[in-house]
Amino acid sequence: MGGLRTAGDLVGWMQMTRKMKINEAKKYVAQKLGIEVFDLTNEEVMRQTREDLGIGVVTSVAGSPKGMRAKIKIAELLDIHINSVDLFLSQVKL
Amino acid sequence: MKDKILIRMGDGERVTLSADEIKEDIRAGTQDAARRGRIPEMTAPEQEQLFEIMADPSRVVGVSPGEEVIVTDDGCSMSFYSGQDGGGVGVPMSRMQAILTYERACGADTTSMGHSDYSYKPVKPIINYEMNEYYNISMMTTAPFFYGAQPNLGLYYRPDGPCPNPAELLPAGKIKEARAAQEEACEHLKKDLVFVGKKLAGVGCEGLNFDTCGSAGDADFLAALLALRELRQEVPQMPIIMGSSGEFVIGMHGEVTFDGRRLAGMYPHEQVKVVEAAGACIYGMAVNTNTSESTAWNLARAVTFCKAAVEAADIPVHVNVGMGVGGVPMMEQPPVDSVSRVSKSLVQIGKADGL
Amino acid sequence: MSEKIFAAAAEAIEQGDADRAAQIAEQGLSQGINGMELLTKGFVAGINKVGDLFGEGRLFLPELMMSATAMQKVTDIINATFPAGKREARGRVLLGTVEGDLHDIGKTIVAALFKANGFEVKDLGRDVPAKRFIEEAEAFGAHIIGSSALLTTTMVVQKELEQELKKAGLKDKYKTMVGGAPVTQRWAGRIGADAYAEDAGEGVRKAMEMIKK
Repeated sequence: MGGLRTAGDLVGWMQMTRKMKINEAKKYVAQKLGIEVFDLTNEEVMRQTREDLGIGVVTSVAGSPKGMRAKIKIAELLDIHINSVDLFLSQVKL
Repeated sequence: MKDKILIRMGDGERVTLSADEIKEDIRAGTQDAARRGRIPEMTAPEQEQLFEIMADPSRVVGVSPGEEVIVTDDGCSMSFYSGQDGGGVGVPMSRMQAILTYERACGADTTSMGHSDYSYKPVKPIINYEMNEYYNISMMTTAPFFYGAQPNLGLYYRPDGPCPNPAELLPAGKIKEARAAQEEACEHLKKDLVFVGKKLAGVGCEGLNFDTCGSAGDADFLAALLALRELRQEVPQMPIIMGSSGEFVIGMHGEVTFDGRRLAGMYPHEQVKVVEAAGACIYGMAVNTNTSESTAWNLARAVTFCKAAVEAADIPVHVNVGMGVGGVPMMEQPPVDSVSRVSKSLVQIGKADGL
Repeated sequence: MSEKIFAAAAEAIEQGDADRAAQIAEQGLSQGINGMELLTKGFVAGINKVGDLFGEGRLFLPELMMSATAMQKVTDIINATFPAGKREARGRVLLGTVEGDLHDIGKTIVAALFKANGFEVKDLGRDVPAKRFIEEAEAFGAHIIGSSALLTTTMVVQKELEQELKKAGLKDKYKTMVGGAPVTQRWAGRIGADAYAEDAGEGVRKAMEMIKK
């Protein structure tokens, strides 16, 4: 789907954590992002959406969240548990 | 429509076939899958759709916008730094560099890491090393990041492991002993899978991949299922993918069961139900490519098996589209024309949830 | 009457019941049924069905082994009734997984199906150097040398085997057959192997053709 270029990682999280089939996962992610399902793979829409939400963009923008910082936001946005995020938050007592 | 259509054989050789020949291969391929799996053939419109995809004159084909699916990583980043053994290009880079390059430069939907041996048993003695690597890399990745390897029951038989070797016992007619050896090895393997899984869960593992399960037969498949179920209870927050190694589970033992169901001989639409019952988040199916048949024949089989598995499944089904599986030709550099046709067909006709 | 015996013979093989198969062989011969006919219309029909079921995942390796044992037993019984010169030729096949390759299972299945179809099989196991294939073939009096390679990195040993056979002047003495996941007909052609088999069933069919020649 394009990973961080679009919404591939987000759909991946839903299949992994909620065992959602592809169309259900896409619908869920689109709803959380407030966009149309069709736009999940539209780079033009997703670039700005990701930047606005702080969930990581594919190019390296100084100061823009990536890695754990982006994943914390993703877990919140999608309302899912990500094991590495839970561990990190427990380690920093958040 | 041109009289002759450029297509490939299962070994990658380019050939030209007539439209009728391709249609006949599609018909024969779907019939073969249906007969073996006792599942429905592709319908006439589906066969026509597959023909259109095969006959498309473009080098690369793809699904329409909005139809895209995700790809679960199967050691892609390892291919950056490994040698030919792993289909790798041998670029001198670290695991972290490879994973982040895959995620960010290639736009990967998911990423993964694994021991270069790619079996769980050798991970056990270096588990602390792997935990450390996993933890450090997971701080940097944004996309789902798995730890993957194969159960590989063969490593538990002599001379590599502690159990008598069924490959020696069976030809000697020692069937009871061969079955006992497989049951014993299954127990060792299950313990190792659970051990590695629990350790990785402790450092925040986002997902575990039991890849190519059943490559050493039905007891291998059983060990993965048992470990999966145990891990789901012990570390429920860690998703687990379970992928198979072929279109049916090879009966090396022949009698092992999971939830009362015999595993030997299970086809994808049956495999997915036990994988689902064990608690997997995604089922990865594999269909063997026959190198002596055309990609049309092979892909018709793969689509037929895929469709039946997706219909039976309550969890996402991802189809293995690596070298020599899923209709992809058996060659080290799978041709992009074939791979893209395989991907498009499995998604549009097979209704795969991912690749 | 013969038809009943043929059906019973096939069934005994399908069930892997060596004692019952032997009993049917003796019974058929004592009733004056032609040995060759008994073998081909009865027992071979049974083993062919076993091979097909195995290829489709409907019958499993232990059962295949039992059927192979039963088949060997009846072949011996029936062969013993033929005059020495007219005995059913049983090809000798030497099998092994090449050096550096530890994959055993596919080759074990191939060995079982060859045995089931009346071949004499010597299985060298895994990790077998090219030179050892040749030494063992000489000692065994093999007709066919079958090598298996499951890795793209070990396939080259199959090529080495062809080269060693040529070097030793033995290339025409043996038929060579190659198999294994990354191996293809093209590879067989490229290295000069006499045959390639997609799976165990095809291996048996091609070996039979080569033995007849």
